[in-house]
Amino acid sequence: METPVIPHRLEIIHAHKAHGGWVAAVLPIHYPRALFRAFDILPVEVWGPPRIDPTLGSAHLQPYVCSIVRNALAYLLDGRLNVADFIVVPHTCDSLQGFASILIDFVKPTQPVLPIYLPRGKRLSDLIFLTDEFKALYRTLAELTHREPSPADLMAAIEREEQADDLLAQLHHGRRNLALSQTDLYRLIRSREYLPAETFVEIAGAVVQSARSLPPPNDIPIMLSGIVPEPLTLFDALTQLNAYVAADDFAACGRRLYERGSRADPFERMAERILLAPPDSTRGSSMQDRLDHLTTLAQTTGARGIVFYDVKFCEPELFYLPVLREGLQRANLPSVVIEFDLNDGLTQQTQTRLEAFIEMIGGTQ
Amino acid sequence: MTYQRTPTQDTLRYQWNVNVIGKPALRLNRWLAQLRQPKPSPYLAPPLNITPRTKELIARHYLEGRYANLHRKVAWVTSGAPAEILKALNFYVLYPENHAALCGAARTVVDIATEAENAGYSRDLCSYARTDIGALLSGKTPVGKLPKPDLLMACTNICQTVLFWYQAVAHHFRIPLILIDTPFVYTTASDQAINYVWRQLDAAVPIAERVAGDFLSSRKLEQVTRLSKLAAELWMQIIERGKHRPAPISVFDQFIHMAPIVEMRGEAYTVDFYAALLKEVEQRIAKGISAVKQERKRLLWDNLPIWYRLRFIAEKLGAHGVALVVSTYTNAWAELAPMFDPKNPMASGARTYLHAILNRGTGYKLAMMQKMIADYQLDGAILHSDRSCKPYSIGQMDQRDRLLRESGVPALLLEADHGDPRAFAEEQVANRLEAFVEMLGE
Amino acid sequence: MSKIEALGIDVGSTTVKLVGVDAQGNLAWSHIEPAEPRIEDQVTQFLDRARAENNLDESVPLVATGYGRGLVMQATRKVTEITCHARGIYRELGHGGTLVDIGGQDSKVIAITSKGDVIDFAMNDKCAAGTGRFLEHAAQRMRVPLEQIGPVALSTTAEVVISSTCTVFAESEVISLIAHGASPESILRGLHRSLIKRIVAMIRTVGLVSPLMLSGGVAQNKAIRKMLEEETQTPVMLPKHPQLMGAYGAALMGLKQDLSGF
Repeated sequence: METPVIPHRLEIIHAHKAHGGWVAAVLPIHYPRALFRAFDILPVEVWGPPRIDPTLGSAHLQPYVCSIVRNALAYLLDGRLNVADFIVVPHTCDSLQGFASILIDFVKPTQPVLPIYLPRGKRLSDLIFLTDEFKALYRTLAELTHREPSPADLMAAIEREEQADDLLAQLHHGRRNLALSQTDLYRLIRSREYLPAETFVEIAGAVVQSARSLPPPNDIPIMLSGIVPEPLTLFDALTQLNAYVAADDFAACGRRLYERGSRADPFERMAERILLAPPDSTRGSSMQDRLDHLTTLAQTTGARGIVFYDVKFCEPELFYLPVLREGLQRANLPSVVIEFDLNDGLTQQTQTRLEAFIEMIGGTQ
Repeated sequence: MTYQRTPTQDTLRYQWNVNVIGKPALRLNRWLAQLRQPKPSPYLAPPLNITPRTKELIARHYLEGRYANLHRKVAWVTSGAPAEILKALNFYVLYPENHAALCGAARTVVDIATEAENAGYSRDLCSYARTDIGALLSGKTPVGKLPKPDLLMACTNICQTVLFWYQAVAHHFRIPLILIDTPFVYTTASDQAINYVWRQLDAAVPIAERVAGDFLSSRKLEQVTRLSKLAAELWMQIIERGKHRPAPISVFDQFIHMAPIVEMRGEAYTVDFYAALLKEVEQRIAKGISAVKQERKRLLWDNLPIWYRLRFIAEKLGAHGVALVVSTYTNAWAELAPMFDPKNPMASGARTYLHAILNRGTGYKLAMMQKMIADYQLDGAILHSDRSCKPYSIGQMDQRDRLLRESGVPALLLEADHGDPRAFAEEQVANRLEAFVEMLGE
Repeated sequence: MSKIEALGIDVGSTTVKLVGVDAQGNLAWSHIEPAEPRIEDQVTQFLDRARAENNLDESVPLVATGYGRGLVMQATRKVTEITCHARGIYRELGHGGTLVDIGGQDSKVIAITSKGDVIDFAMNDKCAAGTGRFLEHAAQRMRVPLEQIGPVALSTTAEVVISSTCTVFAESEVISLIAHGASPESILRGLHRSLIKRIVAMIRTVGLVSPLMLSGGVAQNKAIRKMLEEETQTPVMLPKHPQLMGAYGAALMGLKQDLSGF
């Protein structure tokens, strides 16, 4: 297996700035990438980051706030986001809402803080609102950058993102035939968090090109669900246990397989793509939608069990677990819940739970 | 042989249980309670005379609820939801948050929430949600029985929690859920946000009508909205009487007597109740009765109450002559009253529901606390850092800091939970309260 | 003594257990010692001694389980304690049910089918509240030796309610109870109750299938067994050597592996 060469985050940021572009630090989960790119702003996502000293964040956030939000604040206060020209905070949950509000009212970073509200439904009113929200964001960015990309510029940016998302979907769905280790696959999938669409298309395109039919494997296919797969060594551990992640329902990964839009208006199209993405707790999807999605995903990929790998204190995720687990059990899909903290790395507790679960579904007796 | 009950028989059963037996019994209960002398506290004023009536109202509300399925449609709604639409459609409206608060005060949360925890709901979830999910899974409740909902309405202006919580309830009962999503107001409400809420309110009507089997009368809606507004205005006046030194009632009294303004809005008897309460508060001022007998220091309370330890904290503070005079929480049902326009319920509603305190930025809440400190001549603030309510609590660490530096008043961050006593360390809390009182000085 | 055909080692957070089984899977030999910080050296010496004592050569398979299983270099195979405890208890008691293992690091509830397979399990969340550590902390506070806490808790009918299950909160609660003159017996009883309630919540998430079975070191604590029965209204069965079930299950797997020609 060959490891694809993926440029490092900082390399990409400096290259983008060198040609006069701007950078936005973007918090999880959903936002209109194309809109930012049309202004020559490169979105670089901040999922924590993991394994840092969260103390600076703890001066502003109570102990019952999750490590993604705490780490992000600590990182920002430590000056590590100074490279960003904007801070974008999608309204993903109550904790990120509080995070953005604290930034705006108290922390007041030097960069503009741009919150985006995400509606919690799939109704016409939701589409109209999100379209208007993106238009308002356009006006704010135009004021800040003194640029006014045309509808054609916007559509071109959308097309680039759609092409990248098509390839992302191919990586997800065709993973069995890729000459990649699980860890490398997820490193590539997650590079979408900072690579410009066109760079991602180049790298992922080459990987998809080299796909070939591989003999049927004798590993144990499983599915993972949660917010973000951290650390990536999780996949090494699974490989050692002879388990293969046949599909995922991570907010950072599988829940962002946006399909191509159908609308001609660029703002509506960007809104439509987010609203029609796979079911997601943070967008308020119904229990049934999520259950159906997980069941179908497991059945089509042959996954024999589901690991809910969740960040401690993540309320949106925790609320769904009882209904999902019960429904999956009825479909003969056993599941396990593992909680983790971004700063812990892959703990012994986590490894034991994973291993015991794989022994259980793999029939070790 | 199977026995099929007819609608008429159901209505008769309802009338018999609620109006013939239940209500007179509750009234008798109130009279008896009025005759009883409550145990006097050395530090606090006796309970308000209206207390037995408050208890009667709450008991009657749950009594009606107990038999509501027999003759009306039932809706479960969140505390910040536009329930006026449902009231105008003659729904029996139940507020699960209030029910959970009641369980908190009755100290049954651990027993009931454990039922939800046993079903896999994490202890890191809001204790209100765990209590109500536990109650619906097990049937356990201190009020006898909760009616089954025919419709759910969740409004995100208090938190995202209600969205998930109501999704779980909707899935359990397989009933429609009306979602009123209110974009968070970081600084000012955007036009698109106001239009969005308005559109959702409009769209909610046909769904509610279908469940109710009736059409919404605009006259009825106007009437209900007017009654809501009247009650909220009275509630605001009651709170504002706290500006008097010494304060005639405390925040603890407000916690006890706020139930009707939350769960019985839009009713004439609620307006009467608050008119009577206001009168009693004014009588207290005239007679020189104060909530804390020797009021020495006056404080603000931020966030939800610690329902299962109200008395404990009131006594602890009262013993040192410290009165809790005003709170951002009880004020939430007063501050929006002026925004309501009964002539224009949908348009004014859209704006009103967006501006709930929990839907506004951390800076707005700080400004509100600072204004209260000036208006009510306060000496400090207690900020309850509530494990079960992230949107209310996140921001408190900075708010506390600013109160100290900008307003020059000491503020205490008190970690607990509004419903779950397992997240409450009594000795630790007592100790912190005492140290804080010492800090307030003579 | 019958010939030892396979070895199982359970490297836990407080003790290391070694078990040998004969060809029929009977527990033929066992040894327990406290875990030392240098696990690798300890395990090597432990194994050398066991092999010498029983005249075993290197070909006898060794299966490792427990937290330190990764450090047992000589192991032919490594399996988690969940699978091993289930395997051991099924062989010893001869039926399925719900197995509870309250460990120092982790507590587990394991659902075992009538055929002996694991079909579901639950473990405590990140917080240590549902583990043996919770009692250990309390025992230290109350100056009661760990092996005495069960009998002490059962020596009274008075019981104080410990509402906090957070180890840190509970400690402050205990301090205040002591300050208010509550008896150590009634506090210990309350602490046991609090732990058991946490365990019962885990049992409910997996779904209780009678009988309940207890394994692990904490099973020797009589108060745990009694209160578990009270809280679940279900009889609790104990194997003869609850502490050895992990190592025993591991050894059995070594055997099976050999027989099946892996």
